[in-house]
Amino acid sequence: MTPLTAEETIAAQAKTRSEPAWLADRRIDAWRTFESSPPPKRSDEEWRRTDLSWMNWSDFHPSASQLTNGSAEEHLPVHLSAASIVLVEHGTGTTVTRVAPEAKAAGITAASLSTAASDSNQLVESHLATSLIRPDDGKFQALNSALWTGGVFVHIPRGVQLEAPIVILKTSNDSACYPRTLIIADPESSGHIVEWWLPEDSKSLSFANGSTEIFVNDNADLTYTHVQQWPSITRSLLSQHAQVARDASLVSTNVTLGGLFHKGSIKATLSDPGANVKLNGISYLDGQQFVDHHTSQDHKTTDAVSDLLYVNILDDTSRSVYAGTILVEQDAQRSNAYQQNRNLMLGSGPRADSIPRLEIMADDVRCTHGATTSTVDPAQLYYLNSRGLNRDDARTMIINGTIEPVLDRIPSTVVADAVRTALQEKIQSTSSN
Amino acid sequence: MFFTIVRQIIGSINEESPATPMTVANSQATLAIENLHVSVNETEILRGLDLNIPKGEVHALMGPNGSGKSTLANALMGHPAFEVTAGSVHFKGQDVLALPTDERSRLGMFLAFQYPAEIPGVRVASFLRMALNARRTDEISAMDFRRLLMEKMDLLKMDPKFANRYLNEGFSGGEKKRNEVLQLAVLQPEIAILDETDSGLDIDALRIVSDGVNQLRSTDLGVLVITHYQRLLNYIVPDHVHVIINGRVVDSGDSGLAKRLEAEGYEQYGDTTSEGTD
Repeated sequence: MTPLTAEETIAAQAKTRSEPAWLADRRIDAWRTFESSPPPKRSDEEWRRTDLSWMNWSDFHPSASQLTNGSAEEHLPVHLSAASIVLVEHGTGTTVTRVAPEAKAAGITAASLSTAASDSNQLVESHLATSLIRPDDGKFQALNSALWTGGVFVHIPRGVQLEAPIVILKTSNDSACYPRTLIIADPESSGHIVEWWLPEDSKSLSFANGSTEIFVNDNADLTYTHVQQWPSITRSLLSQHAQVARDASLVSTNVTLGGLFHKGSIKATLSDPGANVKLNGISYLDGQQFVDHHTSQDHKTTDAVSDLLYVNILDDTSRSVYAGTILVEQDAQRSNAYQQNRNLMLGSGPRADSIPRLEIMADDVRCTHGATTSTVDPAQLYYLNSRGLNRDDARTMIINGTIEPVLDRIPSTVVADAVRTALQEKIQSTSSN
Repeated sequence: MFFTIVRQIIGSINEESPATPMTVANSQATLAIENLHVSVNETEILRGLDLNIPKGEVHALMGPNGSGKSTLANALMGHPAFEVTAGSVHFKGQDVLALPTDERSRLGMFLAFQYPAEIPGVRVASFLRMALNARRTDEISAMDFRRLLMEKMDLLKMDPKFANRYLNEGFSGGEKKRNEVLQLAVLQPEIAILDETDSGLDIDALRIVSDGVNQLRSTDLGVLVITHYQRLLNYIVPDHVHVIINGRVVDSGDSGLAKRLEAEGYEQYGDTTSEGTD
């Protein structure tokens, strides 16, 4: 029997999952785009500092593996134990393991993206990979659009305000995974969504390529937090794009702790007046970890505010690249945009590159950006020592002091506490080496 | 020399007859600085300084710029840039100079800095709680700590919101000094060195800070007030005043000495210019 072509495999798998024809077609189109589009080159500004020589483009193919769901809520971070909804995304499948009665009563949808598409969810058809992250954005985005499995769809209906977070726990025991998340917050809704990549059950994960699309509609108020604790062999690429509408607000936080190589493309489009966006980032790197974050604050209209704070803590011979663009389009008068990148080096081995960029086409705007790179200040250490803290505790306090201003910007206390705990675990594990 | 002999006697009592606790306790409660020589970048700043500060007494150390006042403060606390080339410092029976800075603090020594470091992202309250726990055998409960902190902040007329601010970041000069005295009040050391705590303070802040220190005065606390001007000593009246010139104590007396210095200046002690700095 002749082996199936990649396109035939994609079509067959879509059928197995009972996906609608439009989705199968989009997957096949995305695969064609993936195959025909050129790989990123080091001469491209975005990839100038990012080594992709480990990538073998001919390795990628639709996998026929069907894996069982991994362990579920047992790994839920303790501070998130009051989550209203918990989903477990395990490589090929997504399972909802908890829905609080108030979340159910409010009509919140939190489900497998594949299932939502199969259930003829119109929102999925109209929003998935059509505007924010499209296959023609780049080779990785095309690959994800073709091969994602399971996936997560969260929809908070109009006026629904949910304080307890919606938590998506993610693992994969395959060697590659393609997570895809679509979040839609309807007008006047609010909620906290956490995507948490757990180190458990993902031991053999060597490649991850994810996409997350977030729509924050008029007057909605959304918090999105992404925590990455991949094993030390994982190389990952992640695209996130949020669109924030009139008088809506988004606080988006990316916490990068694990993996060997991580490239994040984080974009926020402020599409209407009154949009307010905070973009937060914390990366804590050790060993030979490499993290590259490219961010974009795209002001399309007037009277919007964006405020970015990305902090990198680097130990051993780890490396970070931060490249951020503030784009203020011609009609975006009275924009306020801030961008700050801080790097704390714990020794002489690490390296941090910081490339802030302003592209301002309007003339009545306030934009500031800045980058600092520092080491642990001996004067600070001496001061803390003089109050009885030993060297290790003093150093940890200074590291925490670098991180805390970012955690302060996360509106949900339980989410901030969960992130803080994960960071402490990483700090403890590196200082005990 | 007198102190040396006394300490030698007490030292031998300590070794041979531990049954005389009173004498030993008194000796151990004294911060005893003897023939201290300290260099910074190979320039000698302290040139054989002798000073004893017993618990329960307030001593003022006055001197012109460059005489070695802040060098003494930092050498006592163990700043790595200050190299002790000769002499000794003892407190509570311990060779202070053999201890790292954090152990000196836990032994009961405290330095209120002239220029406290800013530690962004670290809140005053959480920092102080950790510093307090570092010197306790059992951790203080969150509620007990809160109560203690509020009581001490009240003493210094500080807004409770202050506890949630990042340590020294964006503080005015007066706030920094007040925060130093707050730490003194919470950590309850046995020897406190106040390094130019009056500098940068307006008269109201000076009064509040001084009132705070005065309320902390007790038989359990020895204080060394380091200052350039007599002004602070109008508020914190010392038991003893010492004059430091070119890295040595050249004169000692009661609080009247400070007033005389204010009127007559340091010229009476001859050439007060120094190669080093404070």
